[in-house]
Amino acid sequence: MIEIKGLEKEFRIHQARPGLAGAFRDLFNREYKTVKAVDDISFQVEAGEIFALIGENGAGKSTTIKMMTGILTPSGGEMKINGFVPYKQREEYVKSIGVVFGQRSQLWWDLSPLESFRLLKSVYKVEGKEGDAWLDRLVEELEINSFVSQPVRKLSLGQRMRCEVAASLIHRPQLLFLDEPTVGLDVLVKQKIREFLRNLNETEKMTVLLTTHDVSDIEALCKRVLVMDKGKLIFDGLLADLREKWGNGTEVVFQFKAKTTVEQVRAVLGDMPCELSRENEYSIRIKIQRSQEMLPYVLSTVMSSFDVSDVKMVETNTEDIVRNIYSTKDEVVAHG
Amino acid sequence: MKDIFRLFTEYLGQYFKSRLAYRANFLSELVSNLVFEVINLVFILVVFQHVSTMKDWTRDEIIFIYGFFLVPYAVFSMFFSFWDFNEKYIIRGEMDRILTRPINNLAQVCLESIAPDRIFGVITGLIIMGYAAFQLKLTFAWYDVLLFILLVISSSLIYAGVYTGIAAVSFFSDSRTGIAPMIWNIQNYGRYPVDVYNKVIRILLTWILPFAFVGVYPAAYFLRKEVYYGYAMLTPVMGIVFFCIGLLVWKLGVRKYSGAGS
Amino acid sequence: MGKLYLELIRIRFLTMLAYRVNYYSGIIIYNINIGAYYFLWGAIYGGQKNLAGMTVEQMTAYVAIAWMSRAFYFNNIDQEIAQEVRDGKVAIEMIRPYNYLTVKAAQALGEGIFRFLVFALPGMILVSFFLPFSFPSTWGAWGNYLTSLLLAFVINTEINLLTGVLTFFLFRNEGIMFAKRVVVDLLSGLILPISFFPIWAQAIMNYLPFQAINYYPSMIFAGAVGPEKAGEVILLQIIWVVILLLPISLLWRLARRKMIVQGG
Repeated sequence: MIEIKGLEKEFRIHQARPGLAGAFRDLFNREYKTVKAVDDISFQVEAGEIFALIGENGAGKSTTIKMMTGILTPSGGEMKINGFVPYKQREEYVKSIGVVFGQRSQLWWDLSPLESFRLLKSVYKVEGKEGDAWLDRLVEELEINSFVSQPVRKLSLGQRMRCEVAASLIHRPQLLFLDEPTVGLDVLVKQKIREFLRNLNETEKMTVLLTTHDVSDIEALCKRVLVMDKGKLIFDGLLADLREKWGNGTEVVFQFKAKTTVEQVRAVLGDMPCELSRENEYSIRIKIQRSQEMLPYVLSTVMSSFDVSDVKMVETNTEDIVRNIYSTKDEVVAHG
Repeated sequence: MKDIFRLFTEYLGQYFKSRLAYRANFLSELVSNLVFEVINLVFILVVFQHVSTMKDWTRDEIIFIYGFFLVPYAVFSMFFSFWDFNEKYIIRGEMDRILTRPINNLAQVCLESIAPDRIFGVITGLIIMGYAAFQLKLTFAWYDVLLFILLVISSSLIYAGVYTGIAAVSFFSDSRTGIAPMIWNIQNYGRYPVDVYNKVIRILLTWILPFAFVGVYPAAYFLRKEVYYGYAMLTPVMGIVFFCIGLLVWKLGVRKYSGAGS
Repeated sequence: MGKLYLELIRIRFLTMLAYRVNYYSGIIIYNINIGAYYFLWGAIYGGQKNLAGMTVEQMTAYVAIAWMSRAFYFNNIDQEIAQEVRDGKVAIEMIRPYNYLTVKAAQALGEGIFRFLVFALPGMILVSFFLPFSFPSTWGAWGNYLTSLLLAFVINTEINLLTGVLTFFLFRNEGIMFAKRVVVDLLSGLILPISFFPIWAQAIMNYLPFQAINYYPSMIFAGAVGPEKAGEVILLQIIWVVILLLPISLLWRLARRKMIVQGG
């Protein structure tokens, strides 16, 4: 479905000189710097996957998306999506994809979304009963029926965004790109859009690629995550693996009936690779790296050795993980 | 091509719906276009209060040329009015959206900014020409109508080529206001006979920015100025050549935009 | 406060400088405009020595200087205001600790200074090679011209502020702004010196501010208004500057009230 191998993109950036004199010099002679926005990226995606592409601003996400949607031509590497080479067969290729740019509207500001849908139907040559039925389904599932005939300028952001999603799907694409689709939306609308996407993915086997800053989007929708940093793909794998790799592991806080020291607990655990820290006189926090195997052992050992009054488990959430990735820059490339 | 025509009718419908949302502005734009067209007429009328001829051209001949000049420009602006191309499509990034649609990108940009109300410019031009023709007691043969249509289309293609090429410059440069408004100033010199200018400017207006072919040359045919017949008949050739140049620059621009050109 | 406006002028100047295509083409095309009108007037004069009280030489200088003056006073702040009103940016401007209209005027001045130094001066020098063209001979005449030009800028900017502020009430007024531009070009004397118009039209135009935008400074430069009458002309301009403040402050007050009521 999506095959990308060694994808690269270089940009020449104009370096403005500072100050008035510099601006004058720029009139006649400009300095350029070459920047590798996307550096040797490879991955494959099967039909029907929902996956997320994340990374800080400037990590190369949007350049990658622009290449995948056929807007930009790569400076190197190979790319085949839906059986097309996007930048070579652009007009054919774009019929098989839908794109939602969260910041940019594809609806006509002064007209109702319904009018825009009509126009897009002509653009994509969607005809006949099937097309109508499909649009009806989109309208129904996105619950936009009550305002689809109002001018776009009178809609709220949430209403507009749902119409944008419908607009991008008019031609029933196999692959949907969502670029920051939930920025600024309230929780209810976010949920509605996610539910809709999940349903679409299940019933239509539609592949969805999401770029987002909102970690809750990823948790709600994606199994697979790709992480970019400085133009490179630094992680490609399951969300669960991402947690394992960059997560703080699991933390267990034991509340003891008697005063207990770190040394006492360390004694029963032996050289088990875990971090111990003291919360207060009666409480110890244990940080476990590879949770799946170690957690039961730690739990049973501590429980059987001490009088425990309470156990609290603290699981790190994806948001922390993402923060971790961005702050630790060791480039570990996982296999896809 | 058939698809684009079908889309054109769709866009036409959308245009009227959205324009009617701001009726007051719609009217004020019609009026302001008319004001602009009339003000140039005022210049001619005022000047000819002081003199009787300009080079060998009489007042009514100059008015006739001006009337003709308005027609192809109006036809051109019905289909190509992307004056804010740089701002809208490059700076605000709408070009990305255009490129994710399965229609020729230039056609899309044109369709998104069609301005059928410019038909009024055609009407104004015809009225001015009609008045001058009546004053000059010009007579026309039946095939002059066909020739008129051919010449108007050719002149419109010159505009289309020049301005498509200039819009495409935005793909190469981050310039904000661009050079289009400046060229627009030059084009207005096509509404006077080229023999009032010196040789350099005459060559410029004939071969480089061929705005003599949108006014005086084709109009001279109907004024029966035989010296200019050759140029008048050259108009269709110039139209096709410049339109092709415009398309080529546009194509190169899109290539540059998608990063394949550099 | 003064420092802020100086900074605004400087920033706009630098912004203009950053767009180099405009710079090259600007000089060339201003000269093409002047050249073409020069030939047009040459053809109009034909053999005649004097039309409407102006000689060919005076007319030539007039055309060149009228365009050069335009480079200084011309700006698009009305369109900028309209854009900011439509985008809702103007609401943010309202809560800043400065007067929005003064900020716009300062930006216009930055643009004007840029065009004057970068377009008009080199352009004028270039033109003087090709056209029989003479600069004012005394420092006093230069002073009169520059004073008059600065006042012309203020008047034109005031008119632009007026049409720009109208956006608060009309929402979309591109039509009015475009019409205003061509009307100003005609009635200010850019295309046609005021003395060419029929007497009845001149009588009407005496009651309008437009000829103070171009005709007055250009006539001073061309020497058609001598030093003894220049003071009078400048006084007339100052009167227009003051008169135009009135409708601006009135409309601006109404616009702000409208903003508060509608919340932007």
